[in-house]
Amino acid sequence: MDVLLDGLGEAVRLLVTGDQDTWAITALTLRVSLTATAVALLLGLPLGLAVALGRFPGRRVLLAAANTGMGLPPVVVGLFVTVLLWRSGPLGGLGLLYTPTAMVVAQAGIATPVVVALVAVAVQQVDPEFRVQMQGLGASRLRSLLALLGEARLPLLAAAMAAFGAVVSEVGAAQMVGGNLAGETRVLTTAAVLATSRGQFALAIAFGLVLLVIAFAVNLVLTLVQQGRVDAR
Amino acid sequence: MTSGLACRDLSVHVAGRALVHAVTLDVPAGRTLAVLGPNGAGKSTLLRAVGLLGPHRSTGEVLLDGGPVTRPQMRRAVAAVLQRPILRRGTVAANAASGLRFRGVDRRAARERALPWLDALGIAHLADRDARTLSGGEAQRLSIARALAVGSRVLLLDEPFSGLDAATRGDLLADLRAALDRHGAATVLVTHDRHEALALAQDTALLVDGRLRHHGPTRFVLEEPRDADTARLLGFTNLLPPSLTGRPDTLAARPEHCRLLSALADPGGDVVTVEGVLRRSVDLGAATRLDVDTPSGPLVCLDRDPPDTVTLGARVVVAVEQHRSLPGTPLPLPSRTTLS
Repeated sequence: MDVLLDGLGEAVRLLVTGDQDTWAITALTLRVSLTATAVALLLGLPLGLAVALGRFPGRRVLLAAANTGMGLPPVVVGLFVTVLLWRSGPLGGLGLLYTPTAMVVAQAGIATPVVVALVAVAVQQVDPEFRVQMQGLGASRLRSLLALLGEARLPLLAAAMAAFGAVVSEVGAAQMVGGNLAGETRVLTTAAVLATSRGQFALAIAFGLVLLVIAFAVNLVLTLVQQGRVDAR
Repeated sequence: MTSGLACRDLSVHVAGRALVHAVTLDVPAGRTLAVLGPNGAGKSTLLRAVGLLGPHRSTGEVLLDGGPVTRPQMRRAVAAVLQRPILRRGTVAANAASGLRFRGVDRRAARERALPWLDALGIAHLADRDARTLSGGEAQRLSIARALAVGSRVLLLDEPFSGLDAATRGDLLADLRAALDRHGAATVLVTHDRHEALALAQDTALLVDGRLRHHGPTRFVLEEPRDADTARLLGFTNLLPPSLTGRPDTLAARPEHCRLLSALADPGGDVVTVEGVLRRSVDLGAATRLDVDTPSGPLVCLDRDPPDTVTLGARVVVAVEQHRSLPGTPLPLPSRTTLS
């Protein structure tokens, strides 16, 4: 019990006093995970729409692949990205391994299938005639698509939350492609793992708390956006 | 140049099957055309093809004001009511304004122009409600108000009364007729109900199996079945072959024009009579439905004033007081006729 209580006390002290290392790690975590989520949304939204609405061969296989990808082990993605970026690997010349950029790439790889699968579900649960009806009221193809996204905005925001949750909490890929270099690629999860392995439980708990607070804050914002218009009526 | 909507040789193929076959129609501005057909006749497919809506590819021409039309041009000209009311999240008023919003009208002006149509369709008191809380009838009214509010040159209505109870339907029919008269659009109404066609449309086209079977002024078309299919569609559900009547052509008759003759009555000179065996008698309140088996199949009478003494299994004579000839139509195999 002492360890836990001490840990909590130390954690609060670290956060309140504004320990510089902790804040730097937190800022990097936010930067990497939010960027990865944004990239995953940019890739996953059109892909999810295509899978949900398009009619092309392989559509169902693609959807099944995305559904499988929702459970993709981060370690597997980390391994692939590491091999790709390895000095002698196909993209080794870019010198990206053990940089935040590599972590964004890996985390985007983890989150994109999540976005694709959830966007497809979100869009498919809207009436299949929705776009025809919107076009039958004068909407252009693009406008009817935007109306469809507006109609599905609650599950679409849930997809964004799921994507962010998947990347901010993963440790395997961040460790492998980032290397947990202090001041460069150390994020909250890898820092917590390191601190724990060193027996610095207070520090580890502090990182864990910050991680929880971040996850909660981001999801709170998204939830307020999601539910705001619901309550407005 | 005629103003209005038209199509020439319009065909729609889906997965190699022709759902609509070389249909040619004209709908002048200010008039309503009813496309009447049984379920699965291709009515909705035709409606969408005419409005250049939906994913199906069509061949032939769609003309607006006498000239060919592109999809973007058609979208600006058209407002559609689909079979199911598909509403957006938001208030009733916002939904009613959405067609105008798509056309670039600003929010406030769109709302102001849409509100009178909510009133015209009797749902103005629901304007600030969440559209998802509406009943089926209210949602259908909103769907119609939303389309009318656009003030479009072309109005496409796909079974706008489906799924409504009789009272709502009657009210809505009157409301819609009044709205159409004010509107001045070229309107196409798809329906399987001839009473809707009669109430709303100056012209009627009969569509069976994707082909146009008849086309003309509604009153004329509804009373002139061309063949067995259109006869059934128009309520002439009794088909009497020459062998039964002794007439040269097959005759088509409505059940309400068939009645039982009492034994002694003289049917009069020109009335066709048919003999058969009374199988069933059901009192429907306003009239009695009598099912008579004839040598060429069942015959249904809707008799407002049936003789008191009818016994099931007895031989009876049915007087067919009004009928239409279906020249040159081979009668299909006897089937159970149904009351429409």
